[in-house]
Amino acid sequence: VIARELVTPCPSIGMDDDALAAVRSMADQRFPGIVVCDERGRPTRILPGTQVLRFVIPRYVQDDAALARVISGRASQHLVGQLEGKKVRDLLPKHAEIDLAVANPDDTLLELAAIMARLHSPIVAVVENDVLLGCVTLPRLLDALLAPESA
Amino acid sequence: MTVFAVLVFVVAYVLIASEKVHRVKVALVGAGLMLAVGVQDFEHAFHSEETGVDWEVIFLLLGMMIIVGILRETGVFEYIAISAVKRAGGRPFRVMVLLILITAVASAALDNVTTVLLVAPVTLLVCDRIGVNPVPFLLAEVFASNVGGTATLIGDPPNIIIAGRAGLSFNDFLVHLAPIVVVLLGALLLLCRVMFRRQFAYDPERAASVLELDEKEAISDSRLLIKSGAVLLAVLIGFVVSATTGTAPATVALLGAGVLVLISGLPPREYLADVEAPTLLFFVGLFIMVGGLIEVGAIEQLAEWATEATGGDLQVATFLLLGVSAVLSGIVDNIPYVATMAPLVQSLAETTGNPQNVLWWSLALGADLGGNATIIGASANVVMLGIAEKNGHRITFWQFAKYGLVVTAVTVLLCVPYLYLRYFAFA
Repeated sequence: VIARELVTPCPSIGMDDDALAAVRSMADQRFPGIVVCDERGRPTRILPGTQVLRFVIPRYVQDDAALARVISGRASQHLVGQLEGKKVRDLLPKHAEIDLAVANPDDTLLELAAIMARLHSPIVAVVENDVLLGCVTLPRLLDALLAPESA
Repeated sequence: MTVFAVLVFVVAYVLIASEKVHRVKVALVGAGLMLAVGVQDFEHAFHSEETGVDWEVIFLLLGMMIIVGILRETGVFEYIAISAVKRAGGRPFRVMVLLILITAVASAALDNVTTVLLVAPVTLLVCDRIGVNPVPFLLAEVFASNVGGTATLIGDPPNIIIAGRAGLSFNDFLVHLAPIVVVLLGALLLLCRVMFRRQFAYDPERAASVLELDEKEAISDSRLLIKSGAVLLAVLIGFVVSATTGTAPATVALLGAGVLVLISGLPPREYLADVEAPTLLFFVGLFIMVGGLIEVGAIEQLAEWATEATGGDLQVATFLLLGVSAVLSGIVDNIPYVATMAPLVQSLAETTGNPQNVLWWSLALGADLGGNATIIGASANVVMLGIAEKNGHRITFWQFAKYGLVVTAVTVLLCVPYLYLRYFAFA
């Protein structure tokens, strides 16, 4: 099994696109993250879903678990409201903390798994001739690893 | 040898004050140099009461760190703070008053850094809810922690060092410092009302959202809360009766920590999680360096100069010590300052006399309250600023100093009539 066989088409999302729309697309398509591309469509950064959570959940709640329990469910729903008017670049850390998780279409299952493991990325962009073909997500990779023929 | 010891100490002090190199590295290298060159020998450094490591201080801190570390896991502090804020109806100034009082009381029973770590996240949540800038609240709390911590032996690390050097009991601190701390807290509340008067805009709708917080959910383990609360109470009672029973506070704290570890059933990685090994090592290094200065007679020399400067007059010495300590504690961390000054004050006291330990109270008040003057004055300030910055509220050195200097000036000035009336006029 190679990356080309596992690739799932994913939208090309730019740095200046609307953050709320990008996160909604991530949720609708059940992606654990999104690939952020430059104006030419080349992948530049990966935005993992956990980074979106880091942005919307106040740091003091992340640091103190007891506070997460005292806030009502209704109030926690308003947290995503903070994404309104924000751009995708606002959600990303100023400096890329990890290298871009990118693979070639003919990379093997093990190569993909190694990239995800090394970069702690639940999503890998698959690029051919500087063009984004799509992405391989962690659930898709695990499916392939657990399939009888790969055992 | 004397020149070498003084040189090592001064360079180490400058590096600690400048924060260019981590203070633990500086203290350990400094201590290592003192031992390597023979300024201090191994026997004196680790076994001498006069010039060695004060193990009572180290083990008192260790015991309290374990107890508090387990207690904070229960969520009780969040419960108390949110209950109080709800009682205040979300009105900003009332909220600030209650948070100041909670911080001050907690600081008297726990150490300041822990208190700040506990109160800051709740404050940020509450300020978010009621729609006010959290910076004045965080500043008010850090001032309250330094003032409240002054009241007891365990409230502020400088007090622990003073108690170790002077042989003062928990009750000595309560009797001599707690009364003035109550007055200073009143003054702090008034100051905060005036200094932050533009920050108390009340929005009934936002205030109502505070009432939606469910403080009961903060308690994560009620059985552990009962066990750790009971142990903390027993330890505090143990401190109070320690003077009568002759038990050292460090023994009480270690016993409490041991019992709590035993009955909590927590694994070591959990009950040791809040033990700040760097802080304990910093103390060890510092004690060895200061011990080196005592060995070579530098402290004795400084004490002689101090005696000359005061003319051997106890009253002059008391107020000079208060003022100088307040100023210097604003410039350098008050822990190394007091570690250096404690043996000097001991020598000075032999010349001037020290009825009712007035010189020790003067040092404690000056150093503890002076810690409010600037960001670098006390460890709790640095911790609070770090939390504020992580949450997107940067507080600059001068922004802190603008309020800190006023609080320090007022609180230290209030100590002057207290010391004069209690230890001189009506002595």
